[in-house]
Amino acid sequence: MGEAFLEVMGLNKQFGGLKAVNDVNFSVAREEILGLIGPNGAGKTTLVRLITGILKADSGSILFKKREITGKKTWDIVNRGIACTFQNMRPFRRLPIIANVMVSCLSPRAMKRGEWVKRIEAKAMDALEFAGISDMALEDASTLSQGDLKRLEVARAIATEPELLILDEPFGGLSPAETELMAKSIHRLHKGGRFGRLHSEGPAMIIIVHKLQQLMKIADRIIVLNFGTIIADGTPVEIVNNSKVIEAYLGEGEI
Amino acid sequence: MDLIRFYVRKLFTVLKNEVIVLPSRVVVVVFFLFLLLLPVFTNNQYTLRIFTLTCIFAILAASWDLLSGFTGQINFGHALFFGVGAYAAAMSNLHVHLPPWASIPLGGLVAVLAGLIIGIPCLRLRGTYLALTTLAFPIILMGFVFAFPDLTGGELGISGIERIARSRVTNYYIVAGLMFGLCTIMWKITDSNTGIIFHAIREDELAVRASGVNTTRYKLLAFCLSGFFAGIAGGLYAHFMRIAGPSTLEVSMSFLVVIWAVFGGVATIYGPVGAVFILFPLLEFLRFWQEYRTLMFACVLIVILLYMPDGLFPWLRDKIETECPRCKIRNIATRTVCRVCSASLE
Ligand SMILES: Nc1ncnc2c1ncn2[C@@H]1O[C@H](COP(=O)(O)OP(=O)(O)O)[C@@H](O)[C@H]1O
Ligand SMILES: [Mg+2]
Repeated sequence: MGEAFLEVMGLNKQFGGLKAVNDVNFSVAREEILGLIGPNGAGKTTLVRLITGILKADSGSILFKKREITGKKTWDIVNRGIACTFQNMRPFRRLPIIANVMVSCLSPRAMKRGEWVKRIEAKAMDALEFAGISDMALEDASTLSQGDLKRLEVARAIATEPELLILDEPFGGLSPAETELMAKSIHRLHKGGRFGRLHSEGPAMIIIVHKLQQLMKIADRIIVLNFGTIIADGTPVEIVNNSKVIEAYLGEGEI
Repeated sequence: MDLIRFYVRKLFTVLKNEVIVLPSRVVVVVFFLFLLLLPVFTNNQYTLRIFTLTCIFAILAASWDLLSGFTGQINFGHALFFGVGAYAAAMSNLHVHLPPWASIPLGGLVAVLAGLIIGIPCLRLRGTYLALTTLAFPIILMGFVFAFPDLTGGELGISGIERIARSRVTNYYIVAGLMFGLCTIMWKITDSNTGIIFHAIREDELAVRASGVNTTRYKLLAFCLSGFFAGIAGGLYAHFMRIAGPSTLEVSMSFLVVIWAVFGGVATIYGPVGAVFILFPLLEFLRFWQEYRTLMFACVLIVILLYMPDGLFPWLRDKIETECPRCKIRNIATRTVCRVCSASLE
């Protein structure tokens, strides 16, 4: 497991009396796809929001490429190379789909890294093509279906050319066929070479899902969160056989 | 001779292929011609004066739209920029003897400064809180005006300012030309990449930040740009009226701007401009009806808000034009196929 690319140490976040994230430690390597699973309300989304600076942590620190990013502004963190998608999609509804992605393309990071001969519109179109919704580029975002909104979220995130991509429930609310497609896109993106001029390695990823099954094929390593703490950390095969994980998911039926 | 013929023919081609095809473009051309020819048809000083003032307020309304319509930072104290521009232009003209062509842009720059000063504390605020806070700023400045009458002229304001130009007609042409130019610039800004970010900030600021864009900088930019154009309007007003008084800072002035913009249609630029050109002369010419003026005004406004929630001009535009579902190009409503991609418009 190469050297730490993202390192989260002793992270805590409390909402009133509720410890949403409780002393979380983990790291992600540069070429890794890390799965993050846990029952509803386990604190997965909160963890993402802490990493991307949308929420301020109560204590703990986050290192990205050996630099402290705790307490930095969200846009700053994104420009350092971490992009995330929102679980409950947040498109700019009254803007055309291409304009949604152009906002990301206008971030300093994307302006610096992309093929600078390309126009912003062309770059945005690239991202849309990758996500598979380029044919609807001119429609308003409000006309998109649930599955296509997920794709738009992904397009927006990859348009900033991240080195670490955090996907919050990319399969949530998708049909099995759509899930299959999305998983393929994610895998293809991770292998890299498609985006950007400077780094063609493809981003490291943290993928949050609800059901372990969807991660078995694509994740290198999985961590399991329950009540804000990490209860297991290992390869997919280790995780399915872990008794604590099975217990945590007992109430929810299928893992 | 050939060259002239070439350009005339080119002008006709542009008219035929680019202007006649879209009613809204025809309206803009007609509007331009109306402004251009108005002094030819009327020598009435009063009419010219009203339309000069209309042009000034059109700049002001458009500048509010640039800030509040596009980025969603609702500003209920837009009179601040107007007043600051007017006072700055008046003072620099009276005390330093700057000519109008210098004092008016200076008014704009001082208003940019005002935009920065109120923009920075306002960045943390949102929605109603922002609106109420901005409402307070012109009132605070008005307090200063009354507190230092030696400098500001107090209640009477600063008078004896130089005219923009000697004749009323020249005055009118300068102001109308500036109105056309500045509104075009504002429209171009909203149509650019910066405009997309402004729009996106109104939709969902957090998502813009998560896209790696420094929203603070863009919001401040919006405050400054808006302040600049409103300050120029204020400077023009001071030089045209030859007085800069506390009336430029009044709450009613701030609200009038909001009413114009909402009436015409926010986030369009052309909406507020058109609204001023309807409402301001209408209100002036109804002066003999003093008692019923405000009442009628309120009624018209309520009707507009109830039946055309997007404002008058977007509503009209949707009536006379349809958007092609395929290529999103606008077409005149009578067409059945798109003029560009031939898709069916039904
Ligand atoms: N902004 C907030 N204020 C208060 N409580 C919150 C907030 N966000 C999340 N929570 C609570 O924190 C817990 C973890 O939420 P979340 O991170 O969204 O879980 P997950 O994404 O794993 O389903 C939940 O109990 C939720 O109710
Ligand atoms: Mg969640």
